[in-house]
Amino acid sequence: MDENKVTLKADSITKSFGDFTAVDSLSFEASAGRIFGFLGPNGAGKTTTIRMIVGITVPDEGRIDLFGRKISPALQDRIGYLPEERGLYKKMKVSDQLRYFAALKGVAAREADKRIDEWLGRMDLSDWKEKKTTDLSKGMQQKVQFISTMLHDPDLLILDEPFSGLDPINVEFMKEIIAETKSKDKTIIFSTHMMDTAEKLCDDILLINKSKKVVSGSLREIKESYGKNVVSLRCTGGEEVLADESLAAKVIDHADEKEVFLAKGADAQNLLGKLVGSGAQITKFQLIEPSLNDIFIEKIRG
Amino acid sequence: MQKFLAVLKREYKKVVFTWTFVITTFLMPLIASAFVLVPLLIFSIEGESTRIAIADLNGSVAPRLRQNLSPEKIAEKARQAAKESLSDFSASQDEKMKRSAEQLGGTFTFVPYDPAGKSPEKIQTELRERIGKNELDAFLIIPKDIGARDREYGYFSRKAGDFVINSTLQDALNEAVRSQRLAEANISEDLLKDLGRKVNFTIKPLTETGEIKEDDSGPWAAFVVAMLIYVVLAIYGQAIMSAIVEEKETRISEVLFSSARPFELMMGKLVGVGLAGLTQLAIWLTTVAAFVGFGLASAAASGLDVALPTITVSMVVYFLVFFLLGYFIFATIYALIGSMVTNMQEGGQFALPPILLLLVGLYFCFAVIRDPNSSFAFWVSVAPFFAPIVMPVRILADTPPFWQIALAVLLNGAAIVGLTWAASRVYRVGMLMYGKRATIPEVWKWIRQS
Repeated sequence: MDENKVTLKADSITKSFGDFTAVDSLSFEASAGRIFGFLGPNGAGKTTTIRMIVGITVPDEGRIDLFGRKISPALQDRIGYLPEERGLYKKMKVSDQLRYFAALKGVAAREADKRIDEWLGRMDLSDWKEKKTTDLSKGMQQKVQFISTMLHDPDLLILDEPFSGLDPINVEFMKEIIAETKSKDKTIIFSTHMMDTAEKLCDDILLINKSKKVVSGSLREIKESYGKNVVSLRCTGGEEVLADESLAAKVIDHADEKEVFLAKGADAQNLLGKLVGSGAQITKFQLIEPSLNDIFIEKIRG
Repeated sequence: MQKFLAVLKREYKKVVFTWTFVITTFLMPLIASAFVLVPLLIFSIEGESTRIAIADLNGSVAPRLRQNLSPEKIAEKARQAAKESLSDFSASQDEKMKRSAEQLGGTFTFVPYDPAGKSPEKIQTELRERIGKNELDAFLIIPKDIGARDREYGYFSRKAGDFVINSTLQDALNEAVRSQRLAEANISEDLLKDLGRKVNFTIKPLTETGEIKEDDSGPWAAFVVAMLIYVVLAIYGQAIMSAIVEEKETRISEVLFSSARPFELMMGKLVGVGLAGLTQLAIWLTTVAAFVGFGLASAAASGLDVALPTITVSMVVYFLVFFLLGYFIFATIYALIGSMVTNMQEGGQFALPPILLLLVGLYFCFAVIRDPNSSFAFWVSVAPFFAPIVMPVRILADTPPFWQIALAVLLNGAAIVGLTWAASRVYRVGMLMYGKRATIPEVWKWIRQS
């Protein structure tokens, strides 16, 4: 991580509600021009942490710095936040709605109108500009809400499960916009529990569980630290070899191939030799890194 | 400040730029006046003249009755009745009904009939036959001996349900029989009228300092004002609550709180909706003033003496001040409730206590109108929650010393500061609590802690 580009810095923040500690002395850093994956199971403390970053609540202990300053209401205008729980005014027109959210982020009316037209055009929603929320489909409402988080051109973009409820075409489209935002050197925090999406998008990750940090750092480094101890295997026969627990700790059956987790101290060459020796027909034998999903499950289950 | 204005603008437009607002604002006065005008219009549709035959066995009542039922006599009575109903608001419903019947009168066409030498039974049979042939609508049999106590004056009518005709005829008949009895007893009717006239009972209202007041039409104007304040406070308090519940239900508050401070958001909402309420109130008051002005002008034109309530600039200013005090007290209460509950149904249950407070205030007004200078009137007109409704009424009925008005403003201003402080705390925490309604102890904790 390039230290010079660190924009968001949380220093052992803690937040409790009564006896329950939602976030327990959590520290992390996010940098400009990178996507920061904020991962964890439901109830881990993700939303509480995000609320502290956007200034909805204040940490009981610790401190959060954004763009080199302690967070304050004045900094809210530089943050775009798409919460997981979406909501628009039901009986308000799309255009009025967007104008209102832009005004709340301090965008001047004329500039807001220009940007609204641009974004609606881009999102293919121009025809819906004067329609009320209730006339829009769920996906369209999602897009309108996404526009509302982008209108003030935020320097820090926080997306909480941004793809839920979107069809694959819109997901791809959204990813393009996220990539474009990243290329403009903005900081993006991407919160999700969809590991394969996070794996494809994120540069850095922070995995939390039960209010505490589990893993953090660059995705690349984390995966490398786990080494290549999984074999992607496609073969017929050789069942008795795979059943040997001194070789394979775990075998996951996928549709047409198997994922074999090597046992501690076991060697891939040894496994391949035994499989060939047993007369199995091997069409694929590839050493791979564990997926983020594998790491997630291993870490959470302890 | 800029964000506060953005919220204010949205809330104002959201209320005012809707059909509901346009309809309630312009239709409510129409509907209210329709309640007064429609019955009048319906009654004033003149029915067909009632064809009546008078079988006068006595012989001297019928001419008097005919004279009493002449159009000029009926018109004069109607005017008299109108005057009485204007000067007496406390008349019972029954009396009012009778009076409005009198104001309208009915018309009669007399069909000649000679009962000479016929028995009452024979008369009845004959006339009923004629009714059957549709030559007549009704007939009246006047007994021979009008001095006796138990004689029946039978009125037989196809239109027996027409209470206007019935009461006009009954009155005219009573008068005619009385005149005849007087004549038979050798008493001049003029003398009796002169002796029996009512005393001239005149109410002379005095001010606190014992001076005679010029006009006394304040009380009823005060009551209209109290009603208006009550209605507007109830409507806009609920409006605040539903606006807050919507933001909570749709989770918009999450985005809002990440954009502006909760206090700014809440105050923007309160002030915006308040201005919308003020807009509506201004339109209503102008309409009422126009109607009252028009009504009084037409009453004056028809020769009735009605005093116009004196409304000074300071009264209007006081009215606005107390309306705003009331609005902010009840709006903050509703805002507090709105941030506690999870949906409108729950909100509806909690909305009852503030409505009751308003209603009690409205009832206090009656007592205050009756005796604006009692110590009871003093306490309820300065007390928080009640003053916004009661004090304007008291000012209109009989303006209290300035220090009392100032005390009411001060006490209610303090209540608003306290309530706003509490409501903003509850709002900040409650708006992000989804799924379950906050309990009173929880709310109390939020107020104390945050």
